[in-house]
Amino acid sequence: MRRTLTTFRTLVAAAILMAAFGASSGSFAQQTRDGLNPTGQNPTAESVNEDFLFKQDPKITGRISIPDGKAAHLIQPAGRDYRDFRERWLPWLSALAVLGAVALLGLFYFFRGRILMEPGPDTGRKILRFNGFERFAHWMTSSCFIILALSGLNYIFGKRLLMPLIGADAFGVVAQYAKFSHIYLAWPFMIGVALMLVLWLKDNIPNKIDIAWIKAFGGFIGNKHPSAGRFNAGQKMVFWMVIGFGTAMSVTGLMMIFPFALTDITGMQLMQVIHALIGIAFIAGILAHIYIGTLGMEGAYDAMGSGKVDLGWAKVHHDLWVEEEQAKNASGPQLGRHQVPAE
Amino acid sequence: MARMKFLCDADRCIECNACVTACKNEHEVPWGINRRRVVTLNDGKPGERSVSMACMHCTDAPCAAVCPVNCFYTTADAVVLHSKDICIGCGYCFYACPFGAPQYPKVGNFGSRGKMDKCTYCAGGPESDLSTIEYEKYGSNRLAEGKLPLCAEMCSTKALLAGDGEMIAQIYKQRVIKRGYGSGAWGWKTAYRETVAI
Amino acid sequence: MKAFIIALVVAVALGTLAAMLLNQQQRFAYQAFTTSGTRVSDPAGHSNLVGPHWNGVTPDPEKPSRS
Repeated sequence: MRRTLTTFRTLVAAAILMAAFGASSGSFAQQTRDGLNPTGQNPTAESVNEDFLFKQDPKITGRISIPDGKAAHLIQPAGRDYRDFRERWLPWLSALAVLGAVALLGLFYFFRGRILMEPGPDTGRKILRFNGFERFAHWMTSSCFIILALSGLNYIFGKRLLMPLIGADAFGVVAQYAKFSHIYLAWPFMIGVALMLVLWLKDNIPNKIDIAWIKAFGGFIGNKHPSAGRFNAGQKMVFWMVIGFGTAMSVTGLMMIFPFALTDITGMQLMQVIHALIGIAFIAGILAHIYIGTLGMEGAYDAMGSGKVDLGWAKVHHDLWVEEEQAKNASGPQLGRHQVPAE
Repeated sequence: MARMKFLCDADRCIECNACVTACKNEHEVPWGINRRRVVTLNDGKPGERSVSMACMHCTDAPCAAVCPVNCFYTTADAVVLHSKDICIGCGYCFYACPFGAPQYPKVGNFGSRGKMDKCTYCAGGPESDLSTIEYEKYGSNRLAEGKLPLCAEMCSTKALLAGDGEMIAQIYKQRVIKRGYGSGAWGWKTAYRETVAI
Repeated sequence: MKAFIIALVVAVALGTLAAMLLNQQQRFAYQAFTTSGTRVSDPAGHSNLVGPHWNGVTPDPEKPSRS
């Protein structure tokens, strides 16, 4: 009984539907010609399109159903610009900066030669220039810097220079460990930069003596030695370069260690560009620092080597500092207030 | 050889995410890694369109260019693939990719986020075709079986087209002429430096 | 020399410590980019997710979950 009723109901419903369709089909058929939308409207009149969206914003962003915000960017053509920078400009810029710095230092060495010690009445006596903790901070930062610089250059030149030599698989392993060292040794480097800032800030405030020092070209040209305190203007420049570049590298580096934590894809690209550009400038600057601290000037390396420099050298290069130290020592113990022997 | 491309007909895509599901299932991609995703533009407004997006296998791919270890290579079918043995997970390809295709197994610090994973156009990786190791690292290799990517095959409205660029452009052109409208081949200008002229 | 060697040792130690700490906070994509339950609408907020502790009661309709 129930089944018959259901069948009957279905038949009635079908009949009504057919009647309704038949009534409207006359006008309906006229509209469905080829190339015409049955509703008579153009659905693209309101629809979004690529050109329109690119006019509003350089990247097209929509809504996604996965909780990964960076996936919401549909197209970001800026990736092509980033690629242009990284592959077309960066290798040449870094080669120019690094090789240029080496070439300039070579020329300087060739024409000026090694800046030698000038024998005087105090030659042979020693004075403590950097105590153990200062040397520790310096060497921690510098050893990390060398690893960071090499592994950083590996991102640019590894595939161009090293990969053809050792093959893709071996280079993959080397690059992996280079990356680990870059990420993890960045932390002692950042701590080292902070330590050096605290240790040497008070001796690195620019003052009038520095202007005179710069006007005399720091004694690099000619044989005069302009007066200088604990650090001369050149050393102050190195200090502020390390602090400034170190901070910039730390900030951009942290942004890249924690990708997309604070910024979007455009920000990440920018961070990489800044990190790379400052990085190569930093390497060029530090090359000059390494040169003058070792090969370029006799007697300078002892300051960071043993910590004790020749008193004669100190009186020539840092006369005001020696006076200050000796005034302190005259009224106190012979080794001085913060002169803790390291060895 | 064919020049393989993807084309998403945004006027047909209904954001059903079947392509995403098909991809995940075919390659056993873990959660959170989206080789393919559907992005909805102008969501909830008139003119809303959805576009299914994955690696577009660009001409002169930016990811391959910026890779510091050159782990990318292009197959004879112009499919952009990479070697997970060489990849160091640096993330530069994600910065360069116009389509956000590269994915990483771990988020958070850049130091150890693992090897990059992306759409392989169902073409596996550098390992020998249809081997177990290839499947484990890159998913299945349908191209080696003579099949096209599963996402396009699964598409319920045939919005997502995969295959030879000339051929799918032709299909799309015919569609647009037949129905009288079309919002264009999304991403083609950026990926292939050309668009489907209608 | 002593200061130099101590510097190297401390640098490696700090690097190792940084590696351990950084790897501890590392999350897998399947933890970071997934939700705990079926999505019923925009996943941006947490109020409209049906998580594992959903008790079957629809949240207060007066409170708009997200504009």
